[in-house]
Order: sequence, then structure tokens, then C-alpha cells
Amino acid sequence: MFIDIDCSQMKKYNQNAFGDYFVSKRYPDETRLVAVLSDGLGSGIKANILSCMTATMLLQFISNDQIPIRQAAEIVMNSLPVCKVRHISYSTFSAIDCDDDGNAKIVEEGNPEFIWMRNGEVLEPHYEIIQSKTFKNRRMKVYRIKLKLGDRLIFCSDGVTQAGLGGGRLKLGLRREGLIVLLKDKISENPEVSSSELANYVVNQARNIETDRKPKDDISACVLYFREPRKSLIFTGPPYHQHKDKDYAELFKNFDGKKAICGGTTANLISRELNIPIQMDTTISVGKLPACSYMDGVDLVTEGILTLTKTSEYLENGTSDIDNAAGKLVKFLLDSDEINFMVGAKLNQAHYDPALPIEIEIRKNIIKKMAQVLQDKYFKKVNVQYM
Amino acid sequence: MDKKISVKVCLGTTCFVMGSANLQELIETVPAKYGDKVDVSGVPCLGLCSIDWEFSKAPYVKVDDEVIKEATVEKVLKAIDEKLK
Repeated sequence: MFIDIDCSQMKKYNQNAFGDYFVSKRYPDETRLVAVLSDGLGSGIKANILSCMTATMLLQFISNDQIPIRQAAEIVMNSLPVCKVRHISYSTFSAIDCDDDGNAKIVEEGNPEFIWMRNGEVLEPHYEIIQSKTFKNRRMKVYRIKLKLGDRLIFCSDGVTQAGLGGGRLKLGLRREGLIVLLKDKISENPEVSSSELANYVVNQARNIETDRKPKDDISACVLYFREPRKSLIFTGPPYHQHKDKDYAELFKNFDGKKAICGGTTANLISRELNIPIQMDTTISVGKLPACSYMDGVDLVTEGILTLTKTSEYLENGTSDIDNAAGKLVKFLLDSDEINFMVGAKLNQAHYDPALPIEIEIRKNIIKKMAQVLQDKYFKKVNVQYM
Repeated sequence: MDKKISVKVCLGTTCFVMGSANLQELIETVPAKYGDKVDVSGVPCLGLCSIDWEFSKAPYVKVDDEVIKEATVEKVLKAIDEKLK
């Protein structure tokens, strides 16, 4: 199973910093994912610092694998200071540690209870309560659940469940019941809705029911969706040993998922080995990148180094919706969950001509950089194979 | 004159940065000048830069079988004129 995770946030009205903080980390080797959502006391910068500290520390504890999630959460719960003004703890949190097989461990302290949805219905998991040894009013809930394909987990800050509080229609705010209605509506409308779309929907709906659409608290929603991964393959660069061209071309042909080729020589190679003609886009290339070509059975064919460099730049800056080859490659990558790179190690000596612009980088370096961004910023699962 | 002249502009990395980006205007100007006697298209890579990389003469354009090195719009048009003679 692939875990599609995303979080959408909105700041409290008139504040310039988020008071909720979300962090997550994926371990491709262990097929494991850890995520924390924390809500800091108050709002603005102060809340931002409190929640950021809680979330990153908790993530650090769990992810280093030194302390199990339950103990880590207990340590944080017992040591969080108490606000002198309000006499309540500095921050609240929810944390999850789960894997691709659907085993999940969840702890919550102070945040609204998460919602577990399967086939449009809400499941009520069993939990254990751990009382804080140092603070009487603090206790956390610990869950150990087994998820199935198609399940969703929705975490949110109290900004969602208390949206509209004291307003006209919903005197007690949206509450858990209201949130469940919203989720059911959206999921029945689009059963395969992505995590980012669902999280955005929840946050926007919560904002809409606030008086004058001005959030009275920071609003955050985090969604985890366990589904079949959308796989893709990017074949770039000719293999080091030419006699292996045919084998790699066959691997490319037999790959089950979406396919892209980045590189003129590479496209020629696949075309030759698999006997698929190439058709070049007749439009003149936009900007500084060569246009795409077309091949039957291949979803995207672009030039190599220049397009990859630009794509890496777009990914780093979060630029999307650009109408050129790199923009198309960005969309291709972001629409996939599991991205496989097949990187040819053969060098083209002509690229080392000092007369060429300095932007011409080494393919391996660009791919390395791109894989890192895809993993860290977009939470994709990335495999790189050199050939 | 039955056979069309084919013009292939290399849009591979080396050629593109060495100037074939500007040669793309041929895709529009050539049909306007010669009508359907000449067929211009871009190609992903002619594979020429990696052959004589030590004396790289990119960008390359192929007019039928003739390779034009360090191609410019003028050179390509001249080659087409020669062929049409």
C-alpha cells in the first residue's frame, strides 16, 4: 500500500505565522512513515514556536528509532511546561507511526480525536489512556490499529472542530459530527479523492463557516490515505555498456505504470530498440527548453539535461502549471507516488566543452538532487537505478 | 520535382544551447518561403555531437543527407537553394 499524506493549513485571522505545525518523514527503505501535528498555545509567532518545537522534537525522538512512539509521547507530555497566564500546557499533539502494511501506532494529547474512515463509514478504534505522572489534567490516548487498502485517517487541530463557534448557525462550532458529515460528503462525491484535495477541502469549509470567513484560530487538517501506488518510470541517459541497450529497453517496455524518457539520445535508443517512431512536436519550443516529442506507449518524451535541471528547479521552488517540457515533467512526477529513475551512466563528451553554458550539469547529480526534493518535500517514494 | 527535401533541426542538449533554439524559426519561415517542397522538423538528437566532440561544430542541421555544421538560418537556406537548383 502507498500512504498518500498531505496537510493543509490556514493561519488565524490577522496573524502572520502559523500556530499549528505539521512535520512528516518517510523512510523508503523501511516502508515507514512518521508524522506529527502539533497545536501551540495562543496564536502567531508564540504558538508557532511552541508547536514547531513540540512537533520536531517528537519526530526526532520517534524517527531515530531510539524511543518508541508511546514512550516518546509520554516524555513530551510529562515535560511540556505550563503557561503561566492560562495554566494549561504549552501545546497539544497527535503523532502517527505507520507502515505500508497498514500497521499504525497513534498517540494523541489534547488534539481532537482523529477520524478513521473505511468505505465511507467511521470506525471507532479501541484506545488506551495514559495518565501523566506530573500533570493531573494531562492524559494521552494510545491506539494500535490495522488499516486496510482504501482507509483514510484524518487528523485536525481544534481550529477545525471549533470553527464557527459562537457564530450564527453552529453555536457549538463544527465539532466532530460536523466534520464527519463534510468528509462523508466529499468522499461520496469522489471516492478516490487525494489527501491534498481532501485536506484543502476541510480547511476551506472550516473557514467558510467562520463569521465573516475569518478564522478565529489556526486551522489544520492532515489526511493519510492508504491506496495502491501510482507508479512511474523515468528513463534518462544511454546505458554505459551499449550491448545492454536492448535489455534496458525491454525493462522499459515491460514496466507497469506511466513512463517518461528524458534525453534525445535516449529517445532514439528506445525508438531503435523497440521500433517505435518518434514524432517531434511541431510547435516552436517555449522559453529556453526544447519541445516534447511523442512516441506510442510513452507518456512523455523530453530533452535531457536542460529539462531535468529546470524541472529540479521548479520542484524546489514549488512552481507548477508552467507550459513547457519541464512543467509537464513536474506534473508527471507529482501525479505519481512511486517514482523509479533509470539513469544511464554514459557521458556525452560534447557536454564538457567549455564553450557550453555552465548550466549543463552531470546527469547523476541532477537526478540525485531531484530524488531528494521529491522525497523530502513531496513525500514521494523514489528509487534510482544506474545502468 | 517529386521528392520533398527534408530539413532536420537537432534539438538535443548540445545543439540547443549552441544555437539551435534560434534555428526553430525555420519551422515557420521555410514553409512560408518554399511551400510544400521542403519539410522542416525538429528531431530529439542527431547524435552528431558525441561523435566528433573534440571539434564540436554544434548546432547541427541535416538537409536530406547533408550535415550542416555550426548551422545558421542563412546556411540552411543556402543549402536548400542548392538542392532546389
